[in-house]
Amino acid sequence: MNNLDPHCQAILEEYRQAKPACDDAAVKVKATLEKVFKKSGLIVAAIESRVKTEESLAGKLELKGSKYASLADITDIVGVRVITFYIDDVDKVASAVERLFKVDWENSVDKRKIHEIDSFGYMSLHYICSMDGFPYRFEIQMRTVLQHAWANMNHDTGYKSGVEIPLEYRRSLSRLSGLLELADEQFSEIRADLADYRRRIQALVASGNLSEVPLDGDSFRSFLNTRPFDPLNRRIASMNQAEIQEVSLMGYLEVFKMLQCKTLGDIAKIIKDNSEGAFQLACYQIGLTDLDIISSSLGPQDLCIAYIVKVGGGKAGLKMLLDIINGVSDTNVMMAEILFEQTSNLPFMNQ
Amino acid sequence: MEVKITEQDKTLVAQLAGRLDTAVSQEVSAQLQPLVDNADRTLILDCKDLEYISSSGLRIFLTIRKAAAAKGGKVIVKDISTEIRQVFMMTGFLNLFEVVSSAE
Repeated sequence: MNNLDPHCQAILEEYRQAKPACDDAAVKVKATLEKVFKKSGLIVAAIESRVKTEESLAGKLELKGSKYASLADITDIVGVRVITFYIDDVDKVASAVERLFKVDWENSVDKRKIHEIDSFGYMSLHYICSMDGFPYRFEIQMRTVLQHAWANMNHDTGYKSGVEIPLEYRRSLSRLSGLLELADEQFSEIRADLADYRRRIQALVASGNLSEVPLDGDSFRSFLNTRPFDPLNRRIASMNQAEIQEVSLMGYLEVFKMLQCKTLGDIAKIIKDNSEGAFQLACYQIGLTDLDIISSSLGPQDLCIAYIVKVGGGKAGLKMLLDIINGVSDTNVMMAEILFEQTSNLPFMNQ
Repeated sequence: MEVKITEQDKTLVAQLAGRLDTAVSQEVSAQLQPLVDNADRTLILDCKDLEYISSSGLRIFLTIRKAAAAKGGKVIVKDISTEIRQVFMMTGFLNLFEVVSSAE
């Protein structure tokens, strides 16, 4: 710092005066972005903000202080970095930044586009911005997690610029950048393909072509949205004018997979063929009690019990069911025995 | 019906003894309010000496579960008798709670 000329010392003094305002600005920009992303449902990996340290600024001024007339000429005193999961989201973030702040296009750089078609390297979008109430410009960097990883590792080599790195290693880093660029594109494609798949599945579920829909997390969720267990739950609840407590039924995906269901059509068939048995079991268990609250998982639970006993799954099958829905426990053996005895003698078993 | 709440480390343990039926449910609900108020912690409902539970009792358990879900806590139902386990099973409540036995 002692090496700085009076001009640079003046800029440094201006920095000291401006530091509290810069701290506030960094917090404000970050909070503004967080709020907008949350509102729009955009999930990012991280938002980082920082104000350049006095030591770092002094180093910069020592190297090229004459380039700056005042602190206002230095555009990265305040820096914010948005790290996205997907490459498409970098453009979404950029769009949000353009709406929220005034972008100095002349000084902003899209480092994703500066590479020749046959070269790879640092990929990031840098916007120089300004906002009302803050007299200095600030920088917002936007990049993916993979671009961020590459930039950090490249920086960690200890070389201040790419050209300083020995050619052999520069080639390796460049090759890695290309690989990560490909991975970024693949992740985005997978996300787009999965979104298409979900739309297709939802359309098939809505059209009722359940036997064409393979059973997986997405399809089961869509199926649950059609509320397939409501008629059975309502029928059971009506016995005691019981209140139905809604709970997530996603845990039953594993149960139906255990029962060898391959498609939603297989589940629909279990519901159709075993609802009467499930109702009879519920009648036996709570019909003569004053219990007037049930969980919405009771319908699928009794349905699976009725199905397992009907197809000869026995106590072992019931134990497996209980292990999945209630967690593995020794008491499930005893409960399976009780349920087996209760269910085996119900009328539906002889129909 | 007796309710005794103790604190072990940061866990709140409610020991329930007797019959949790409609007649005592309001009083028990008030006694268990500290669990709802501290639902960001692990809450243990020790049912070793609980003899009976009615729908009103299930609703109290459910209220505590909802509070814990909202505040990031956890509810453990401990040592329920076979009869009460069956009540939980026949209402579909068994898989809503982490039910543990001190014997296991």
